[in-house]
Amino acid sequence: MLRMDGFTFKAAASPEEAVRLWHHHEGAAYIAGGTDILPNIKHRIESPRVLVGLSKALPTGWCIEHGEVVLGAGTRLSELASCSVLPALATAAGLVAGPQLRNMGTLGGNVMLDTRCLFLNQTAHWRQSLGYCLKAEGTWCHVIRGPKTCVATQSSDTVPILMALHARIRVLGPNGERELALAELFRFDGIHNHTIEKGHLITHVIVPLPPSNHRARYDKIRTRGAIDFPQLSVAIAARMTGTGEACVADSLTIVVGAINPLPQAVQGVEAFTGRALDDATVAALGALIKKRCRPQASTHGDPAWRRTMARITVERGLKALRG
Amino acid sequence: MTATAKPAHSVPAQVLQVHVNGEPEVALAPPTWTLLEVLRYKLGLVGTKQGCDKGDCGACTVLMDGRPILSCCTLAVMAQDAKITTIEGIPPRVPQAFDAAGALQCGFCQPGMICSAHALLEVNDCPSDREIRQAISGNLCRCTGYTKIVEAVHLASARPKNERSPTPMVSSAPADGLRTVGARGRKPGALDKALGRIPYTDDIVLPRMAHGRILRSPHPHAKIVSIDTSEAEALPGVYAVMTGADLPTPFCIIPWTPDEHALAPDKVRYVGDGVAAVAAVDEETALRACDRIAVEYEILPPVLSLDAAEAADAPLVHARDWKGRARTSNLCKEVALAFGSVDEGLAEGAASIDQTWFYEGNTHVPIEPHCALADWSSEQRLTLWSATQVPHYLHRELARVLDIPQAQIRVIQPALGGAFGGKSEPFDLEFCAAYLARKAGRPVKILYTREEVFYSHRGRHPMEMRLQMAADAAGHLTAVDHDIRIDGGGYHSFGMVTTYYAGQLLTGPVDFPAYRFRARRFYTNKPCCGPKRGHGSVQPRFSFECGLDELAHKLGIDPIEMRRRNALESGSTTVNGLFVPSTGLQECLDVVARDSQWDRRYGKLPFGRGLGVACSMYISGTAYPIYPNKMPQSGVSLLADRSGRITITCGASDIGQGSDAMLAWVVSEETGLSPERIVVKSADTDLTPVDLGAYSSRMTYMVGLAAQEAGRAMQAKMRDALAAHWGVPADRIGVGHGVWFDKTDTARQVDVHQVLILAETAEGRPLQTVGGYRTRDLGGQYRGGSIGASPAYSTTAHVAEVVVDPQTGIVTVERVWVAHDCGRAINPLMVEGQIEGSVYMGYAEALMEAQVFDERGLHTGPNLLDYRIPTSIETPDIIAKIVETIDPGGPYGAKEAGEGPLHPAIPAIANAIFDAVDIRLRQIPFTPDRVLAALRAADVERRV
Ligand SMILES: Cc1cc2nc3c(=O)[nH]c(=O)nc-3n(C[C@H](O)[C@H](O)[C@H](O)COP(=O)(O)OP(=O)(O)OC[C@H]3O[C@@H](n4cnc5c(N)ncnc54)[C@H](O)[C@@H]3O)c2cc1C
Ligand code: SF4
Ligand code: FES
Ligand code: FES
Repeated sequence: MLRMDGFTFKAAASPEEAVRLWHHHEGAAYIAGGTDILPNIKHRIESPRVLVGLSKALPTGWCIEHGEVVLGAGTRLSELASCSVLPALATAAGLVAGPQLRNMGTLGGNVMLDTRCLFLNQTAHWRQSLGYCLKAEGTWCHVIRGPKTCVATQSSDTVPILMALHARIRVLGPNGERELALAELFRFDGIHNHTIEKGHLITHVIVPLPPSNHRARYDKIRTRGAIDFPQLSVAIAARMTGTGEACVADSLTIVVGAINPLPQAVQGVEAFTGRALDDATVAALGALIKKRCRPQASTHGDPAWRRTMARITVERGLKALRG
Repeated sequence: MTATAKPAHSVPAQVLQVHVNGEPEVALAPPTWTLLEVLRYKLGLVGTKQGCDKGDCGACTVLMDGRPILSCCTLAVMAQDAKITTIEGIPPRVPQAFDAAGALQCGFCQPGMICSAHALLEVNDCPSDREIRQAISGNLCRCTGYTKIVEAVHLASARPKNERSPTPMVSSAPADGLRTVGARGRKPGALDKALGRIPYTDDIVLPRMAHGRILRSPHPHAKIVSIDTSEAEALPGVYAVMTGADLPTPFCIIPWTPDEHALAPDKVRYVGDGVAAVAAVDEETALRACDRIAVEYEILPPVLSLDAAEAADAPLVHARDWKGRARTSNLCKEVALAFGSVDEGLAEGAASIDQTWFYEGNTHVPIEPHCALADWSSEQRLTLWSATQVPHYLHRELARVLDIPQAQIRVIQPALGGAFGGKSEPFDLEFCAAYLARKAGRPVKILYTREEVFYSHRGRHPMEMRLQMAADAAGHLTAVDHDIRIDGGGYHSFGMVTTYYAGQLLTGPVDFPAYRFRARRFYTNKPCCGPKRGHGSVQPRFSFECGLDELAHKLGIDPIEMRRRNALESGSTTVNGLFVPSTGLQECLDVVARDSQWDRRYGKLPFGRGLGVACSMYISGTAYPIYPNKMPQSGVSLLADRSGRITITCGASDIGQGSDAMLAWVVSEETGLSPERIVVKSADTDLTPVDLGAYSSRMTYMVGLAAQEAGRAMQAKMRDALAAHWGVPADRIGVGHGVWFDKTDTARQVDVHQVLILAETAEGRPLQTVGGYRTRDLGGQYRGGSIGASPAYSTTAHVAEVVVDPQTGIVTVERVWVAHDCGRAINPLMVEGQIEGSVYMGYAEALMEAQVFDERGLHTGPNLLDYRIPTSIETPDIIAKIVETIDPGGPYGAKEAGEGPLHPAIPAIANAIFDAVDIRLRQIPFTPDRVLAALRAADVERRV
């Protein structure tokens, strides 16, 4: 079987203890559900010396405070899949992997999911045969075919819709707590696509309660009906009135995921608000998406096809949202 | 596998407390151990299985606080405060329903599947099909096509919760005039396999057992300049190290083409080729030792495609052949045969086609990874337990490579978790476990990682097929010409058989008067291809059945009608000299045409939706016994015991297909003993008469006839004894269900147990009979004419219904209607399972599976996340119907059902895509990007 390099395990009982344990031990890493980090350790992509267990440290479930939904980072995806206050988020959580992994994986782990790549998430032997790559032990990116940039894919299913819903995260560090917009968590770097410092812990994800004329959806493109990571994902959130070709959006956010290290909030879609989202406008929006989104070959599926799919998925998603 | 250059840290074991199946348990294990490992290897709860060890397959599913989780991705330390339920702790309702519904094939996915199903029923009493498919969507099954699993969950939901509902072994009436044959029923032992009570190879643990690992090449093509194992040998905990030099005798499943070694002695031929092996106290240490083996390679240019292999200046994958003669090319085998006037036939047709198809390679993916365990006695006798489907051939090759007499070797095939042809020849782990165990002086187990399963491969060959064929205006074919190039990978394997099969097996159930084929298999620097379900013939069937569809359209003839007009008739001989005693093509077409409402719907559905038809014929065993001999190809022995049971011993491999059940059914038929009273012991070379193994769909026909002979001999002894006892002529004795009777006075009855006692008394010695099967000479009178010749042939027809999204190129196969002529269905429940599993596997090949290598010779994803096998969600509805043309030679008229039904799946889907959106796809898999490209090329997108 796949063997993991030696580590010790320290269970934390609170977020503070988790942060303390992390900073106390060299080579520490957090483990929540473990469904991302354990396969990575088995593949020797990372070899932490100490695993700080979060299962009992993190808040779980959600509540509504001051017009916002406050979700515990320890919430399992299977629970999140029944979150009726945020149905599009529930859809996204319900599309992660398969049922068992949703019973294990947490919201925090899903947000912090490491970037993925066809040349990375492989065994040590395979990566050795490849000559490794920039992100782990090597010097060359086999996707870009160059020595500088890693474009491993941000593959989380909940992140695009959370971003479209303008979520914030609450982060605990050794010097206290802070909040930042989820969008600010990410940067275009497949090696480290998270901006928060290592060892900082996400305790909560906060989503403003959607207004009454809010509509949102999440679509995931994958080969199989379960287990697969997204080849492409599209989250749309809007304030809308009317139906059909007469539908008008007052605000519109479209986030495209699984194309590169960054969940991409597509620039320029605001220009399509305040006027009827008729078929021609939807097609124009589709064309904009296609122009802006350049899927990388770090994920399964022909990049050109995935690009076409970004356009079609957005067009179909908007038409469905129009009603 | 090599690990990484990073230093390896070991951490001491600690005491773990877990609460499993209601009991507090304590185990000593390092914190790096997963729950799966602790359950299996520390607590002996081997019911929980491992299929990928990284979250992709669901075999390791257990319940944590009632919810399904994957134990391979859960550290045991993380499970300490939870309540764990494993299959051993699941109440009987769901497992029994799985057994009753025929959902248990190899059983390997089932513990996890049953856990998921049980958890669903705990929260949902009466789930819909959709809810069931969702709930089991993280549990991959390679055998069933999920059809019977969904039925089983429905069945369980209808049964009371905490009660046992044992189903009788036989659950329906037998065929007219028969006692057991034709009755639906459960498989002996299936339930215990699924409950973890019957061990698979990796479930077996021996005292002092060591663990082996194989160091594999990172290069596709390289000379081994030197290997230094001294550092590995010096590592504490290492018991033995070996290299290719230790076992210099080459081997091959085909005895006259030995081109492979236990470990590569001088040259590696694909990424993953074994170069050294280590046995150590545990896998960690063995791996660390592998890291310390220094191999110096001289890199050679790799040959990675058919074109590269055929190029004039191509590097040679094998510089010499097995006789030591220098090779001048990478051609491994060429077969060229011609029958009838092909050129005239092609020229005179009213319509013709000339197209090239490409069948991408793919592989078996049994959920159980290969595993072997070797142990030597103090008398230097070797016992090898192995996940093999050919114990007898393995037995022979072990003797050859280890250079010891066959009489010193015992091969045992424990329960087997799926094979599909992927375990039908010897593999490096078997030789290495045996050698290392001898050297280490202790038992050695080697378990492949999932990655190694992909490298051992022997799956479907990539084939490029140029097909020319023509038909007259009435649709009668006039000639067929196939030119086929086969990408064989690094070694020979069954290569010469594959090369013959690619041409020889095409000549029915659609008949034609003139045929020519040339098939050429080339060596390349990729893992070696071999036999996958429908060996050698699935690929040309794709081109042929698609070509036939094209011809039908050119001629304006309905594709089903086209096939009917060319149907081979029972009792005729094909153009290449295969005598086909029975074929049910017309009946199969009747069924699928009716069920799919073909006449009303074909060609008339809205754009984007389509129907497609295809058919095929397949062998029921092969006349050719792999090594030439005139001994029986199958032997069965029966021994009655005084408790009123009969024990069957037979070398046949039950790989999940149900051959043990078939044996029980046949002996039950002949003796009147119910199958519950029949014990089947199979595949142990010390105890069971030789059977050649589970390949070429030979089991039901060949093993069945041997069992029938043994059963009839037993019946004769019993009849004579009873007749003597009653003082009546033997022909007055009748055999019924559990009782024997006097035909002239049917009230006069005696229990079959009593008859066995009478017979043993009369015999004066243990009551024992044997039966054997040997094929008579078959096939055409030309060189190679016997290869592909079979005593009987099955026939299949499919109609697939697809929806193609013309904007995205995404193809959805909604349902497949399949009718399969298996002659007599000995146990229809098992036959349906084989048909459904075949359709599933064919569907997967058509739409998503591909074993592809990049320009470095690297497998593009040797794991179950990148190599996608369908889940319960996207797998189409499969409506399987059995057609019974009673074959004159088969046992009770039976023929094969395990491989034939796969063939038409791919062309039927391709033909349905044409009906839906007017494009002809000539390369599998039909991925959305390819479909979209074809649609754009045909410029049909704007029509919607
Ligand atoms: C076969 C398979 C299929 C999958 N398919 C999908 C899919 O379709 N979509 C998808 O989105 N994911 C998928 N996953 C990935 C994974 O299961 C999910 O993303 C899951 O939500 C990860 O959560 P976790 O709690 O298990 O993370 P962990 O593995 O425990 O952690 C992941 C990473 O986040 C860090 N981390 C965890 N929690 C925190 C926190 N609170 N604060 C800071 N850092 C933290 C960890 O240190 C680690 O680096 C799949 C995984 C597998 C094995
Ligand atoms: S994108 Fe390039 S550098 Fe990043 S993981 Fe993939 S191959 Fe490595
Ligand atoms: S063994 Fe755990 S998912 Fe495959
Ligand atoms: S029965 Fe499911 S894998 Fe064999």
